[in-house]
Amino acid sequence: MLAAWPRLRLYPLVALLALAFGFFFAAQLRAELIPPSNRVARNEALALTVRSLETDNAAYRSRTAALQSQIGRLETDAALRSGASRQLADQVAELRAHSGLTRLHGPGETVTLGNGQSPKGGAAVSAYLVNFQDVQDVVNLLFRGGAEGIAVNGRRITPESRIVGAGTAVVIDDGPPLVPPFSVAAVGNRAAIETLLAAPASLGDLKQRQRDYQVQLGWFGAGDLVLPAADTGLEPQYAHAG
Amino acid sequence: MPAERRLRTPLVVGVVILLITLLAVIQVRSQAEVQRSLLSQDNTSLAFLIDDLHRSNDDLAKQEKALASRRDMLSGAGSAAVANAALSAEAQNLRIVQGLDPVRGPGVVVTVDAPLNDVDLQDAVNNLHVAGAEAISLAGRRIVTGTVIEASGGEVLINGVGVRGPWTLVAIGDPSRLATAGDEMTRTLRADARVRSASYRADPDLTISSVIRQRPFVYALAP
Repeated sequence: MLAAWPRLRLYPLVALLALAFGFFFAAQLRAELIPPSNRVARNEALALTVRSLETDNAAYRSRTAALQSQIGRLETDAALRSGASRQLADQVAELRAHSGLTRLHGPGETVTLGNGQSPKGGAAVSAYLVNFQDVQDVVNLLFRGGAEGIAVNGRRITPESRIVGAGTAVVIDDGPPLVPPFSVAAVGNRAAIETLLAAPASLGDLKQRQRDYQVQLGWFGAGDLVLPAADTGLEPQYAHAG
Repeated sequence: MPAERRLRTPLVVGVVILLITLLAVIQVRSQAEVQRSLLSQDNTSLAFLIDDLHRSNDDLAKQEKALASRRDMLSGAGSAAVANAALSAEAQNLRIVQGLDPVRGPGVVVTVDAPLNDVDLQDAVNNLHVAGAEAISLAGRRIVTGTVIEASGGEVLINGVGVRGPWTLVAIGDPSRLATAGDEMTRTLRADARVRSASYRADPDLTISSVIRQRPFVYALAP
């Protein structure tokens, strides 16, 4: 019994030493794997700034959408004041609908797009990823098919919309980055849109990548699609009627 | 129980604990790193994103101010005349946005002599929109997002009408951003073997007189 004491005292000592060595080796290994800490810190600071600006952006958009909605109601009220007001209010309501500033619904098609499979062997190709140009191509094709309103992942396309890429994300009208899978919903003539989508010449590059890299591309129709209103104002600052 | 075995037991325990600790630390730190890498891009991309977000927030602040002023005008409109003035101002803005009225303002004119295709032209229009263009014309045709630019039988069609180069793009909007975009676009185009010439000029007072005819909704219903 007494002879076991030194052995028992040795175990915690060995364990403690092993623990210390474990941390030492792990820290050493990580130091070689991760970028210098100042680079990470700078990256984190930038990411923090992005998050803060995105929060501000979302707040602006929310207030803009609320203002648009209030203006819509006030315009409806204004229409009651006189015949001329009613005519103007009707005209504005129609313009707002065509500009994507009001909710829209009707029959339509939804095109879905998703990343394919990374090629085996680690080949440095990005063709299996869907990007902003793919989204742009789908939007253009849907307009070609006579779409009367389009939304990408719930973001309404307006006459001034711009689509850009940010890494693997897609940014529409400087809104929050959208990541795959994408869902491009269009209200319009379902038959015309479906025919165009199915035509071999349409979306040739995407269809090729669907075969080569299993990029996901599909579409389905709906009797009543609902598109949200744009959450941005459309106030030209430089262009004037001329 | 020889002395050799007595010594081996704590050694094995030590090695096992060392390995477990090593794995645990790597695992925990790797997860944190993955989490960070999911949220982060490289510094240059983040810097561009910050720049874009700043600009977007500035634009949204201006739009919010303009919309609040329109709302106040409408809510305080004691008379039909005031309400009509607010409605007319909004109608005019939206007609400009949809390309239904001629417009004037500062901007750039980009001229390209090259056999550009529909995709090149779609990209050029998107680039100008990204650079803050509020009104665009291409080959004398008014363009908005939704204008169909397509290829058909070796020809480019804009909303079904055949057009051909040399290509002239007129964009009205933020003059400084458009000038930068014009410069970048023409430099990129000049590197393209198909391009015979590409140039741009900034102009403080451009006019786009072409307009789009609004198509009535056939399928869509606004609530």
